[in-house]
Amino acid sequence: MPNRRFFFLTLFALLIAAPLGLISYKLLVLDYRMADLIPATSYHVDINMTVDGHGDDISMHTYLPKSDPRQHITEETQTSGDFRLDINSDPLNRIATWKAEAVEGPQSVHYSFVVQAQHVQYRIPTGLQIPKSYPPQLAPYLRAEEGVQVNDPLIDEAIDKIIPQRDIPISELLTRMHRYLQDELRNKNFSGYTDAITAYKLGEASCNGKGRLFVAMARKMNLPARSVSGLIMKSGNKRVSHQWVEIYVNGYWVPFDTINDHFAELPANFLTLYYGDEVLFRHSRNINFQYSFQITKKLVPKSSLREHIGDSMLNIANLYQTFESVGISQNLLKIILMIPFGALVTVIFRNVIGIETFGTFLPALIASAARDTGLLWGAIGFVMVIVLTALIRRGMDWLQLLHSPKMAILLTSVVMIILGATVLSVQFGLGQLAHLSLFPIAILAITAERFAIFEAEQGLYKAARVTVATLVVIAAAYTVMESQFLQSMVLAFPELLFVLIALNMWLGKWIGMRISEFVRFRKLIWSEAAK
Amino acid sequence: MSWSAWKANWQNFRRGSAHVLTMNQRNLHFIYPNNARKHFPIADNKLLTKQILGASGVPVPETYQSYSSFFELRSLEQDLAPCHEFVIKPAQGSGGGGIVVISEKTEDGWRSVSGHHYTAADLRRHIADIIFGVYSFGLSDHAIIEARVDQHTELNELSPFGLTDVRIIVCHHQPVLSMLRVPTKASDGKANLHQGALGIGIDIETGCGIHAIHHGEALTHHPDTHIDLLGRNLPFWDEILRISCQAAQAVPLKYLGIDLAIANDGPLILEINVRPGIEIQNANMLGMRPLLKQIAAPDQQLETVRNSL
Repeated sequence: MPNRRFFFLTLFALLIAAPLGLISYKLLVLDYRMADLIPATSYHVDINMTVDGHGDDISMHTYLPKSDPRQHITEETQTSGDFRLDINSDPLNRIATWKAEAVEGPQSVHYSFVVQAQHVQYRIPTGLQIPKSYPPQLAPYLRAEEGVQVNDPLIDEAIDKIIPQRDIPISELLTRMHRYLQDELRNKNFSGYTDAITAYKLGEASCNGKGRLFVAMARKMNLPARSVSGLIMKSGNKRVSHQWVEIYVNGYWVPFDTINDHFAELPANFLTLYYGDEVLFRHSRNINFQYSFQITKKLVPKSSLREHIGDSMLNIANLYQTFESVGISQNLLKIILMIPFGALVTVIFRNVIGIETFGTFLPALIASAARDTGLLWGAIGFVMVIVLTALIRRGMDWLQLLHSPKMAILLTSVVMIILGATVLSVQFGLGQLAHLSLFPIAILAITAERFAIFEAEQGLYKAARVTVATLVVIAAAYTVMESQFLQSMVLAFPELLFVLIALNMWLGKWIGMRISEFVRFRKLIWSEAAK
Repeated sequence: MSWSAWKANWQNFRRGSAHVLTMNQRNLHFIYPNNARKHFPIADNKLLTKQILGASGVPVPETYQSYSSFFELRSLEQDLAPCHEFVIKPAQGSGGGGIVVISEKTEDGWRSVSGHHYTAADLRRHIADIIFGVYSFGLSDHAIIEARVDQHTELNELSPFGLTDVRIIVCHHQPVLSMLRVPTKASDGKANLHQGALGIGIDIETGCGIHAIHHGEALTHHPDTHIDLLGRNLPFWDEILRISCQAAQAVPLKYLGIDLAIANDGPLILEINVRPGIEIQNANMLGMRPLLKQIAAPDQQLETVRNSL
């Protein structure tokens, strides 16, 4: 039918050309920057605190990070159980307080967020001399305080040793102090408190001792100084926080870390939690307080992308605001926008590769749900739900129930398995498995039913094979849907979905041999070729 | 191997592949244009198939009863009382699910070919399952009770483990390829290739077995009985082709897999399939595409089997 062919080709061309036109327009006229589309490293940090209550009131405090020009904090979430969370901000810090009354038994509190930070480095002008005076608001950063014995004679002694001729430029002064603390004072792996004098006397210290000695010497030299506490972010579970110092030079607070030898610079994996010589956690007594930081590295679209998109017109940012006004976050929108990519992956696996899976789009849906559990736990959760539910179906076969009530029982079982897995995983600290609740429950019930039918009619081998194939497609869909580049692209250019439609139209007309069919018909092909 | 040999091999392989009907092409070029979705029920609902075929004089197994609602089952025991041999099947089942073949009556019930004993209550429950759609992807369904087909005696040696059936692909009312599906011990009496039945490619002109496969592998002898599978002529072959074409003309579907059983007094059509599989090419060691091309391009049409009948 020529009409149909003409319509197909026109539509196909339009679906390719229109988005490409829009993208060019955005890039050329609206000045979207491709560099912004390259994803950046970020860290997901989960602060986990546990206590044992004995019927008393409990309060706990800690510091939460703030966004500043160097670090960008997003996606903050928390679960506090019985505790009430209050967050108070002062100009420097954000203090979180959890309170609960008459707490019994073990309790846990989580606070998590995503950090995207930049590496910074300062250049200190060489001839710069130490100012004689500072604005009054800097006075606190020049005073002695507990642990920072600015006026102790030993501090003078230390300075005499490092800088005999005291009237040198700031850059020279800081270099000597930094080198002394980094090279002469041994690093000690010690988690307790060390004051400035003790650090000097021992000739060794951990981060807080070195930091206090640095602050004390700087203040003695009339350079405002403060200690900074935070985390060195690395994937894994850690309890160790870190401390470094900032010196006020020429209107900037310049960072120094004399444990890891960062002179006037801070790497991108340093998270600033708070300023000032305070402890990270304060809490009621006798509650067996435990804490840890669970840190996961991941790639995310650059935060500058989100901001930049907001500046221009004809712009999805306005669209995103519409979604946000009804409670759909950009994050959720991103997941939704990636589902068509997952669907394309499953289409390719079915029609081009020829792999049989459970359900057409089940792999794409599981992959998008596995975004919160991680691929491994998503796959484990999927197999667990399917196998347990299929076993339950077996049992019901024996009971001989009619179809619809049986399916309702399977659905209920899936719900219970998922909730049970969530409860157990929280109990055993398998945080990722707790997100199974995002799995598409009804589809899983149908899949379990199909698994059981496969198993009954074609044997466990066949059912297991289709399950493995499904897992392969889930992994592929997951990899594509988690692609930070594609995520950034589709957030910036949602019109790419039209290109996906065009690709599917093309695949919809593709009559070529599936890869699996090459295998299936290999002998026939050679026999036909010999004719 | 040298580069030119690789290239020649690859070209050969491409040429061979071009003769094989793929799943994508079957769907796009044969099923969608030839079988309108609205006519699918004619094939998918076996009760409807039998009514339509029966009305146009195509032989089908006699329907004793059909049940579509639970309360109709009150008369089940009376309905079945005179029956000794019969088949219970879901009208919209697939892959042979839910089919029970009863071969004899006992004191307090019936016995199936697989030796299973059924009381009236067992059958009632099974039929209720069928009606509630257990075997039909959750749709409510009809249960059919029909005459059991007694296999032609000539076929007993070839197929001692169950009823063998003939599959014929018919495109635009012309037979294209056919195969005989023979149950084995492993397939548990079922004529389903996935479950281990044999597929014997049948020459469309002569009705003679030309090639055979088991689990996708070529073979010449029955894996259980070791008798020769090839070179046998099927009884009633001309009649089989005739009623297949008659059946194809009775329905508004132009690309069909027609399944027949052969009884002593002639072939009967068991069901028709609007999405016939492509494994039949392996059973015949013959690619379907050139054959379908001839049919689809009428001016180049060669003398076909049907015209010669």
